[in-house]
Amino acid sequence: MTTTADLDRQEPTATQQIGWLVQDTVTMTWRDLIRTQRQPEMLSFAVVMGVFFLLLFYWVFGGAIAAGAGVDYIQYLVPGIFVITSLTGAQQTGTGLAADLSEGVTDRFRSLPMSQFAVIAGRTIADALRNVVGILLVAAVGYLLGFRFASVGGAIGAIALAVGVGYAFSWMNAAIAAQVRSAEMVGMLSMFWLFPLMLASTVFTPSEQMPGWLQAFAKWQPISVVGDAARDLSNGIPAGDAVAWSIIWIVALLVVFVPLAVAAYRRSR
Amino acid sequence: MTDASERRSPNAEDAVAVVARGLSKSFGKTRAVSDLSFDARSGEVTGLLGPNGAGKTTTIKMLTTLLPIESGNASIVGIDVARRPDAVRRVIGLAGQSAAVDEKLTARENLELFGRLYKIPRAERMKRVDYLIERFELGDFADRVAETYSGGQRRRLDVVASLIAAPPVLFLDEPTTGLDPHTRTELWSEIRELADRGTAVVLTTQYLEEADRLSDSIVIIDEGVMKASGTSADLKRDLEREVLEIHVADRKDLTGAAASIAGVGAESSADPEGTRLQVPLTGGARQSLAVLRGLDADGIAIADFQLRKPTLDDVFLAMTSRGGRR
Repeated sequence: MTTTADLDRQEPTATQQIGWLVQDTVTMTWRDLIRTQRQPEMLSFAVVMGVFFLLLFYWVFGGAIAAGAGVDYIQYLVPGIFVITSLTGAQQTGTGLAADLSEGVTDRFRSLPMSQFAVIAGRTIADALRNVVGILLVAAVGYLLGFRFASVGGAIGAIALAVGVGYAFSWMNAAIAAQVRSAEMVGMLSMFWLFPLMLASTVFTPSEQMPGWLQAFAKWQPISVVGDAARDLSNGIPAGDAVAWSIIWIVALLVVFVPLAVAAYRRSR
Repeated sequence: MTDASERRSPNAEDAVAVVARGLSKSFGKTRAVSDLSFDARSGEVTGLLGPNGAGKTTTIKMLTTLLPIESGNASIVGIDVARRPDAVRRVIGLAGQSAAVDEKLTARENLELFGRLYKIPRAERMKRVDYLIERFELGDFADRVAETYSGGQRRRLDVVASLIAAPPVLFLDEPTTGLDPHTRTELWSEIRELADRGTAVVLTTQYLEEADRLSDSIVIIDEGVMKASGTSADLKRDLEREVLEIHVADRKDLTGAAASIAGVGAESSADPEGTRLQVPLTGGARQSLAVLRGLDADGIAIADFQLRKPTLDDVFLAMTSRGGRR
């Protein structure tokens, strides 16, 4: 067999390094998916969270909120819940990574000839895949309540954007986790971004009744923007601008938080 | 059963695999490792021996790229650790308290995971995983999740995981701490065999017996500083001196007793909070008699005394003359 000693002398080329980065990311995703399956309580919490929000808002607030929505409330609510599902899933990236960092296996990863970026990338991708499951479950329950996608293309677009924004927030939370290195701290800190983003948004209700300053925030913050785009796509309403703004938000968040998360992870030893 | 890949050419075994020169590392004001230099050779076990907090783990972490080297330099099979950490990671394996396995994965999955991360091609990797499971008798628990393992099973997987890429240099950070004597002896013979096949093994331990049984050369460190180094036999000669332990009846006599002992040409170290003096003997029973007579003549009341074989503590006392710590 080829021992590692045969590889040690020459520096890898850039192409080789990118190849390894991809290979390591696939490997770490595989590992995190196995871990996800083996922690059924975490998995079911993440997956059922969306359905919980859907039923809660549909039954408890549905009647009151419906006025002003302009469409049947279930048509308004379900695409927004896709985004909420993805966002709460992103929160688990942070708690999971913080727990990982406290285990010795992270030290072993650091001693291996692997891309350290892959440690976080694998987890964010595994979490995004889990979010897809959660969103499909929300869509299925939504169907039972009368929700319908206008088109297959719209359905794919809406789900892709919801998963995308959750993925971006996964990186934000990974950056927080690598910085504070405690699952409890990550959980506590998430109150400060998760709830404002969730509640001061157009996901559950249009922003018209909010005070002016809040309206501006609620209209332009990423969860609303993506929620609006997902809603338009699901309902077959032309959504060009909303989709463009959604993509801008997702890319902007990734541009900021991917380097921050990787840098914080490298420092956290 | 043997694996040809683990045997190396005889000249490789003479090579110095790990070179550490003037390694230092501080955490805040604490100097964890200070100007530490040593070599480790292929085909040998090099033991870093020292008590808890001596700087052993910090040293291993610097050599395995887990911690940046503050000053000094190190190379592994000729590769500079500070300048080419990625290349170093390709030639080392690490196990023990500085590394671990994934608790949610089975032994087989863990080996598969680390094999993939070393970029071992699939066919080779599968063969290697099967070989390691058989060779190190992990079969009974290979398909159970690691969090269900006993301490010994976990430790064994930990060591085996560091062998997945057959690295020429293996770092084991307190590999047997917390293991029962039987499992420990088993692991010792496995580590010994790896070295005999040409691997350079660097292991840390706080057990004198372990360093003695397993190591071809021993580096004794304490408070980040190298206190002694040499082959096990060299050091043992020093360690075979007996120790006279004296309890004075009155604490106030402690200083006087030390002076009296110095007066007959012996060294002593005192426990400042207690009433104990340790006297490492260079002249056997005759010297112990001289010390006791001296104390008697100086009017110092002795509550108790005993002559005993040295422990690791005594080695440190003898080498560091800092009796105050215990």
